[in-house]
Amino acid sequence: MTIFSQSVSPCGKFLAAGNNYGRIAIFSLSAALSSEAKEESKKPMVTFHAHDGPVYSMVSTDRHLLSAGDGEVKGWLWAEILKKGCKELWRRQPPYRTSLEVPEINALLLVPKENSLILAGGDCQLHTMDLETGTFTRALRGHTDYIHCLALRDRSPEVLSGGEDGAVRLWDLRIAKEVQTIEVYKHEECSRPHNGRWIGCLATDSDWMVCGGGPALTLWHLRSSTPTTVFPIRAPQKHVTFYQDLILSAGQGCCVNHWQLSGELKAQVPGSSPGLLSLSLNQQPAAPECKVLTASGNSCRVDVFTNLGYRAFSMSF
Amino acid sequence: MKTKAPHLDSDTVGELDEVIRKRLLIDGDGAGDDRRINLLVKSFIKWCNSGSQEEGYSQYQRMLSTLSQCEFSMGKTLLVYDMNLREMENYEKIYKEIECSIAGAHEKIAECKKQILQAKRIRKNRQEYDALAKVIQHHPDRHETLKELEALGKELEHLSHIKESVEDKLELRRKQFHVLLSTIHELQQTLENDDKLSEVDETQESAMEADPKP
Repeated sequence: MTIFSQSVSPCGKFLAAGNNYGRIAIFSLSAALSSEAKEESKKPMVTFHAHDGPVYSMVSTDRHLLSAGDGEVKGWLWAEILKKGCKELWRRQPPYRTSLEVPEINALLLVPKENSLILAGGDCQLHTMDLETGTFTRALRGHTDYIHCLALRDRSPEVLSGGEDGAVRLWDLRIAKEVQTIEVYKHEECSRPHNGRWIGCLATDSDWMVCGGGPALTLWHLRSSTPTTVFPIRAPQKHVTFYQDLILSAGQGCCVNHWQLSGELKAQVPGSSPGLLSLSLNQQPAAPECKVLTASGNSCRVDVFTNLGYRAFSMSF
Repeated sequence: MKTKAPHLDSDTVGELDEVIRKRLLIDGDGAGDDRRINLLVKSFIKWCNSGSQEEGYSQYQRMLSTLSQCEFSMGKTLLVYDMNLREMENYEKIYKEIECSIAGAHEKIAECKKQILQAKRIRKNRQEYDALAKVIQHHPDRHETLKELEALGKELEHLSHIKESVEDKLELRRKQFHVLLSTIHELQQTLENDDKLSEVDETQESAMEADPKP
């Protein structure tokens, strides 16, 4: 089994995980972290069948869980999700150019300022869907191969997308156009032709961006489009995120890597899966006692790191 | 002297239990205080009924000593009670102090956590600065580049001047050659014309000689 995606509930007490069979499991973080946790607390509270294909990506709004995988995005209500026989609230499919094959959706991104959702995946376009009405407002074209990952730049309403074609493109949502392109594989500091040029993971911190995958994991300064630091790890990274003054990354190889912006490896914490695909930091203010890092990947286990320095325990599908 | 045996019904059984419990408690370390008081009562009655003066006096003395013993133990118990009260107060005070210091420590921890976050932000900013500075160092200094640009500009101007002057010279030569060539052509034309005229004259003369007498 492979767990592709995770999402934390708005109350901070539950974690949803989606696997490659199309099932979603809801774990209770507060029960698993409490002092009377038993073995059953580390099992899911419910699992249900969500999609016909793998659940590649999930995000949570303040009331809904949105999951996507096989070309459709479905919305579930968090308040109802723990009851048996939960049905999806709605399902939408973005307007694809060909109706023959339905491309998969690899990444979802919430844009809170305009209350919309961005979907990207196999058809090389970014679709914007308004969450109130469910209509698809924009289709941003520019990538020449499918899109793996999305990131939102807070200060200016820009979206970054990275894909198989090796380019990170910045899109301005107000004018619905591509404003900047960074072709990562063309820079010799970070390109690794033997791995390919695909961009597997993307994270941004307004002025800075870190991306990795085929090319090495690199920190970029966005305004000058220059790579500033290359992180010395050979394995391609599949998920990266900024946290306080660190950059956390995970990929092939079972460890979660903690990097400082200067390129030094501060810590390498082993998880229990042979390869990691997704990291999730529970920073919901409503549940400060459940503030943990969870990691999942090529196994049925979700590792929980209570203190970033070591793996506390694992929950299992 | 015996007290009448009390009526044994449910209420009084309950009261009796209480009384018995209290008396057992009270007589815990008294070890005979109760017995002493009973003895005192008995000896008082005996003394009242005693006959001789001496016996009475000695009994009286004995009763006084028993009384003072009772007083002594009572005084001791009172002091112990006082001491316990004061210990309780002391413990209350210490408890409150510890509570205060716990609250203070909590506040300090929160403060320190904020400071850590701040320090982390500062460290992150410093590292970002370092990263950008490294990139900038790779590029050469702006002053030097400007100077190089100026020098190159001057060279360019100089060379274009030279080019202009050479071109002018070339034009002049070309024109001179053109004038020369056109004069040569004209001379050729004039010479050819002269030749033709002289040819015509010769043929006219030969024609007149061939046909002299009409």
